[in-house]
Amino acid sequence: MKKDIVIAGVGGQGNIFASNVLCQYAMARDLNVLGTETIGAAQRGGSVVSHMRISDQAIYSPLLPAGSGDVLLGMEALELLRNLKILGMNGYYILNLYFVPTTYTNLGIDRYPSEEEIVHAARKACERGYEIAATYKAAELGNPQMANVVMLGALSKVDDFFDRNGVRSLVERLSPANLLEYNLQSFDAGFELA
Amino acid sequence: MSEKRYIMGNLAITRGAVESGVRVAAGYPGTPATEIIEGFVEYPEVHAEWACNEKVALEVTLGASLANVRAMAVMKHNGTNVCADILMHLNFTGIAGGLVLISADDPGGLSSQNEEDSRILVHTYANLPVFDPCSAFEAKAMVKDAFQLSEATQMCFAIRPVMRVCHSRSLITFEDYDARGFLGARWEDDRDRYIMSAVEVRGLGGIKRPQARHRWLNKKYKELTGLFEESPYNHIEEGEGDIGLVGCGIGYTYIKEAAKKFGKQYPVLKLGTLPIPEKKVLQFLKGKRKVLIFEEIEPVVENLLKQLCHESQLTVEVFGRSGFYASDGELTVQVITDAVKKADPRLEIIDEFVPKQLDIEVPVRTRTQCVGCAHRPLLYNLKRIARKKKAIVFGDIGCHDAGSFKPMELQSTIYCMGSSIPMATGAFFAGESRPVFSMVGDSTFFHLGLNGLINAAYQKGKQAIILADNGTTAMTGFQPHAGSGINLYGEIASKVNLEKLGEAIGVNVHRIDPYDINRTYETLKASVEEDGVSLVIASSPCFLMGSRQGVKFFEPREVKTDRERCNGCMICINDFGCPALIYKPDEQKVHIDELTCVKCGLCAEVCKRGAIS
Repeated sequence: MKKDIVIAGVGGQGNIFASNVLCQYAMARDLNVLGTETIGAAQRGGSVVSHMRISDQAIYSPLLPAGSGDVLLGMEALELLRNLKILGMNGYYILNLYFVPTTYTNLGIDRYPSEEEIVHAARKACERGYEIAATYKAAELGNPQMANVVMLGALSKVDDFFDRNGVRSLVERLSPANLLEYNLQSFDAGFELA
Repeated sequence: MSEKRYIMGNLAITRGAVESGVRVAAGYPGTPATEIIEGFVEYPEVHAEWACNEKVALEVTLGASLANVRAMAVMKHNGTNVCADILMHLNFTGIAGGLVLISADDPGGLSSQNEEDSRILVHTYANLPVFDPCSAFEAKAMVKDAFQLSEATQMCFAIRPVMRVCHSRSLITFEDYDARGFLGARWEDDRDRYIMSAVEVRGLGGIKRPQARHRWLNKKYKELTGLFEESPYNHIEEGEGDIGLVGCGIGYTYIKEAAKKFGKQYPVLKLGTLPIPEKKVLQFLKGKRKVLIFEEIEPVVENLLKQLCHESQLTVEVFGRSGFYASDGELTVQVITDAVKKADPRLEIIDEFVPKQLDIEVPVRTRTQCVGCAHRPLLYNLKRIARKKKAIVFGDIGCHDAGSFKPMELQSTIYCMGSSIPMATGAFFAGESRPVFSMVGDSTFFHLGLNGLINAAYQKGKQAIILADNGTTAMTGFQPHAGSGINLYGEIASKVNLEKLGEAIGVNVHRIDPYDINRTYETLKASVEEDGVSLVIASSPCFLMGSRQGVKFFEPREVKTDRERCNGCMICINDFGCPALIYKPDEQKVHIDELTCVKCGLCAEVCKRGAIS
């Protein structure tokens, strides 16, 4: 059994919280867990990628090989596309329909693809995928930064490995007190959206 | 009682030092090593500090070591460069209490100004031992061994964890330790070692001390080779055929990962120490036709193996970083698989991974300042002045360095810590007719910028220096410094008075609030027009840090764009560049993204057409 997960987004989207929840979930099931994240200069609006590896076998490298991923959580559309090559044969993605322009697209030097183009390209490359408006849902619930928890809710709906109550109780345990209610609402909303 | 915790590799290193009884730890923030020093906060028996720079940090820990306690210096590879001078002396003197240097490397330069291999400076140049951990688990064990071996050999031991070790997250065992067992400094003079000066040594035929200590160092280095033959960090895994794979540090884990798909089992040599265990390596090389070395950044071990083959008259072909596969960038499972296939074309790969193929161009994403950041209005005004005066802006390290990228493209240079002011001085004395600015952050200023300021004033140069003072080391995650007023523990500490410092040096001093757009503009203009060296202290706390702490920076100002008035002139995008301002190419107009905007209202002052209000 193995579950290789990548969370890709832009700085400040709460990748680390989400990856922490998933790792704790796997550890509670006595599985091996190894993760890594690209942070630092990647912050301040840059790309942020977390790799998380879960297995009942030995895991050596925290960085998972291209073409071997099982789940890709795209917190932002371009970052999903940028990391799509990580997915393996039976891998799937959950795309947050949230579009953060880059400096170059804002200047008109690069073109930010349209939503249709993005979804089409992602679907063409990977048969199994889900699109949800996690950031907008989180904003509606009071804080767009809860999009990460909306995505966790969606994940526990579409992936049998992640049991709804198990993940939810970890969100509950790991949330700071002031965000607890928001996080649980966001989680449930994500579960419904997927 | 031991317990397991799921933690970052950096905190495994901290814990290893604590379990070893470290008393003093000092460092300067730098990704990927920063969290190691921060981790000490929860251990009251350790004095930990953010030093002004890495050389100071290593000197602090050396002083502690000579007082016979265990000490650890922590930095990233660039910082170790700053330490080169003290490193090239403490290697000759040797140490007393265990001294460990953590020099974290960043293959691929994901969070750095360059891509460099600490092993060369520490091992090849300073002749000191280096451990190269393959995992956080191993890094912690290596820290504990390094302290013991450091005392046993009198040598400073270095560990170079790469970013994937520092930023890995895994289950780490926390073992018990007895903090009381390690207390008590005990200074003992040893002038034959600690006085590094060109003085004649009695009993050695009158040779000078540097030569005598060099002789000592060479002897110690040779002992290390023997010591590492039995090291748990070096081992051989048997396999078939005459092609062998050598994995150094994290390179070993990528080999193991790639090997899951190999149709045959190659012999593997795992190496984690420098110097290399020569006997063990020769044992591995026996009967081999080819060996492939996988190591991060430079062909250090590869060259040592080639040398060993030459000295032992072996005709093994040695391939690695020097050109057989990429000589730059981070190792990956794919790099290893491709290199092994190249060396052994008959290799069968079982169920090879097939990466998904995309047929769409994905634009690159570069970082910028945060929405609401005080650097943005400062850079905006500096750009206006620089354009008007045709000035050159010399840049430095820090969040504001993103002003050198698109869309601002303001700073003309970004090199290493503190280089902005001296480079501007040089350009001025070269006879450059354009006025010169330099821009430096506060943490960088205390690191190595101050010398440049003193020099600029002393040489009677002319430049305007913008000190972007946000009260913290923001880029690496808000570490306090000598101008913050607090220390690592959050306790009140002395705070350098920048105005008085500037006055004492003898430069023109101005202070501004960067959110005050008009006054900032006028002050910057005055600073470049006046004679001599001017220091403009632009102070406002880091917005990201402050807003997380609930600091109120400004009255929220709801702004909207007026579609009629916006003519798509792009000034707000090109000269201000706030990520909440989004240009819609189809409408040729700018709009404000409500989810991103923090309501600072500054863009309303930037738009001269009144299209934002």
